[in-house]
Amino acid sequence: MLQIEPLVLITILVPWFGASVVWLIGDRYEKIQHVSAVVFSITAAISSIAMLWVYKSGTVLSFSMGSAYGDFTFISDGLGLFLSIVATVIGALAIIFSVDYMHGSAQLGRYYSFVLFFIGAMVGLVLTSNLLLMFIFWEITALCSYALISFYNDDPKAVAGGMKALIMTQVGGLGLLLAAALLFAYSGSFDINIFISNPSLFPSNILAIMAFGMLIAAAAKSAQFPFQTWLPDAMEAPSPISALIHAATMVNAGVYLLARFYPAFKDVPGWTMSVMIVGMLSALMAALMALVANDLKRVLAYSTVSQLGYMVYAVGAGDILASQFHLFSHSVFKALLFLAAGAVIHSVGTRDMREMGGLGKELPFARTVFIIGSLALAGIPIFNGFWSKELILEAGLEHGNPIWIYVIMLIVTGLTALYTTRCVWMVFYGENKLDRHIHPVGRNMKIALTPLAIGAFSTWILIGPFSKMMSSSLPVHSIQEVNLSELFNHVVFAPATWIALAVIALGIMTWFGRGTLTGIRQALKPIAGMAEASFGFEKINKFIVGATQGLGESLRITQTGKLNWNVFYILVTLVVVFAVLMIGA
Amino acid sequence: MWHFIILVGILFCSYQAVRDKRLLVSAIWLAGTSALVSIMMYLIGAYQIAVIELSVGAGLVTVLFVFAINIAGDEPIPNLSFIPKWLARIFAVMAILLIGWQLLPLLDFPINLNQDEGFQQLVWENRKADLYLQVVMIFAGVISMLRLLTDEYQIRILHKEVQE
Amino acid sequence: MNISTSMIVLIAVMGLFGVGLYCLLITRNLIRLLVGLQIMVKGAMLLLVFVGQSQGQPSLGQSMALTVIVADTIVAVIGLALAVQVKRIVGTLDIADISKLKR
Repeated sequence: MLQIEPLVLITILVPWFGASVVWLIGDRYEKIQHVSAVVFSITAAISSIAMLWVYKSGTVLSFSMGSAYGDFTFISDGLGLFLSIVATVIGALAIIFSVDYMHGSAQLGRYYSFVLFFIGAMVGLVLTSNLLLMFIFWEITALCSYALISFYNDDPKAVAGGMKALIMTQVGGLGLLLAAALLFAYSGSFDINIFISNPSLFPSNILAIMAFGMLIAAAAKSAQFPFQTWLPDAMEAPSPISALIHAATMVNAGVYLLARFYPAFKDVPGWTMSVMIVGMLSALMAALMALVANDLKRVLAYSTVSQLGYMVYAVGAGDILASQFHLFSHSVFKALLFLAAGAVIHSVGTRDMREMGGLGKELPFARTVFIIGSLALAGIPIFNGFWSKELILEAGLEHGNPIWIYVIMLIVTGLTALYTTRCVWMVFYGENKLDRHIHPVGRNMKIALTPLAIGAFSTWILIGPFSKMMSSSLPVHSIQEVNLSELFNHVVFAPATWIALAVIALGIMTWFGRGTLTGIRQALKPIAGMAEASFGFEKINKFIVGATQGLGESLRITQTGKLNWNVFYILVTLVVVFAVLMIGA
Repeated sequence: MWHFIILVGILFCSYQAVRDKRLLVSAIWLAGTSALVSIMMYLIGAYQIAVIELSVGAGLVTVLFVFAINIAGDEPIPNLSFIPKWLARIFAVMAILLIGWQLLPLLDFPINLNQDEGFQQLVWENRKADLYLQVVMIFAGVISMLRLLTDEYQIRILHKEVQE
Repeated sequence: MNISTSMIVLIAVMGLFGVGLYCLLITRNLIRLLVGLQIMVKGAMLLLVFVGQSQGQPSLGQSMALTVIVADTIVAVIGLALAVQVKRIVGTLDIADISKLKR
């Protein structure tokens, strides 16, 4: 008989155990490393899927840490469970893909153990209800993300990208730490569920500080406005890492945080509005940047930022279900896109789309799955992206949400269709500009891509069980159960859907009619220039990173490397502190 | 009276441990310091901790020191320090005087030899997080112990791998 | 002058602390640095036990001292392992020579 308690532990600890095993096997035994990483990740995926039959709301597992620290508690409600399934299943597929992608690469032990360490931490992050523990897992995911972005550590660009990601997410982590400290100070425990069910016990100004601290944390982790520029630079990572960490799981942690705490913060004045505006600005800016980018993975990164903007917007608009459903769809199709892009990059050896073109004939399998993913991203009917995006857009019209944000989000759907079409066209159609040798797509790559491609067609069918799980296990989030026919009626017979489809069609037509639209293109030149310069936010983010590193560099003088002097400085500080105390007394 | 003798013993042993030129002898003096500190703990009523300190501090750590010194070997290091000795003395004295000044209020409290029953309760129940962290630390210690025992031959193999 | 037990213990704490600190300041031998550290930590441990005893919470002081003992032992183990490896790889225990290895 299935029990929820051991399953929670297995899902977190098996990847961690696997991480140390793969590390200890050593790089001499490459084959064993590949196989054991795949086995451990699949075990975790199976155990997290098994939780579907036994999930329940409330605390399921509690480790006493003694009266001085409170309990470390774990939960298995719908929100956390579904994200843990996404993390483990897509993690397993990314590892299977890596068997081909990383074949023959040096230091595989480091690669696989960080991926497995990440999977365990991500599951822990979404399954814990102790805010301190959540913070710890949050930082572990940031660490793994840094280590994997900089995996090719002899490439200065990769190292710089990893550093940037680490520093930017740490800035956000401060917001989460602040919220956790305030929670402990005012309630005497780190338990999230107690807090969410009675937020009114807190003074309103403290609640506001916590709410905006969490918003900063979420924006930094999910690469939202104004922190959006770390994600494109993180694309120096190997492609499976981009698919797993920077598309399907870690960047969703911010959205998860907002969704988890929505019931507590929704009454804080201005919070939902700020969340919507953050989502709107990210979606719009990133879509514009995706239009002018020429690096295949950067285009996908911008589109990730843009789609995450939709999810954040949906949380602000008050529809947690739509937000999480889009997160689900996005994880599937964006992982598919990144892995397919990885297959293409692995085959042709470049990431610049201007050097590609006409690859459809050489790589028919990659073309098919990439186009499936693109159609889902653009929101074409029947694919999963269509249903979830329509749900979000409709949520924007309900609950008295401002109409102008809805209009902008509608325009962004058109832009999404436009840049997706551009990307597919530049890579797979047009003239073949490459006369290099093209590797075929490996067998393990195909094994990993096929279930994702099927998922991009079909995951929307799961709306019934998905919403039932959410509504039955999250009593305070006021999520309604929706079954398939309701979804169908809801989406197909709403005028908003047809408007959105018209905008999407317009976006696609814009690409094919680009030759006749030269006048408009000339008029929009300045915007394109601004988009290429990331609207000036690149500078701000660079400044933060530069200031942090400069401070570290200038403080390095104090590290003499001679222990005696270091102890001496400590002693001098001690004397000064005591002298100040003496004067104070 | 006993207290006073032990105090003198502690100060003498610790000073010898720092001053003696031979590392091995210095480790023995350290063991002596540790043993005397544990006796002092016993005298002020901390019986459990005194036993643990005697076995771990005076026993295990000394064994480790002797073992490590045997492997690494003693070497004559010129007795020149980066910091002039007089400056080091002044600052060390200054630091302990300041600490002493901070400790002054404690003199008013007499030592209470009565035990309360809560030691086990406190260690095993109320401060569980400490306990878990100690387990983690012991693991770290075991791993570095393995490293200590890895012999020269294996190190050379590891080295070659790194260079390749 | 009447010398109380409290005073003797406090003098021992200060003495251990001062001697350990002096050792950390002047020695250049890696293993002897660890000896100095051990002496200093013994002072801290004695103080923890003493404060626990005199403030009427002996168990709290002793459980803290227990944590310190474990941490201290592990520090000694890791420090010694590092020292032995340094000796094997660099060939010396003198921190003046080791610090030249930095960039």
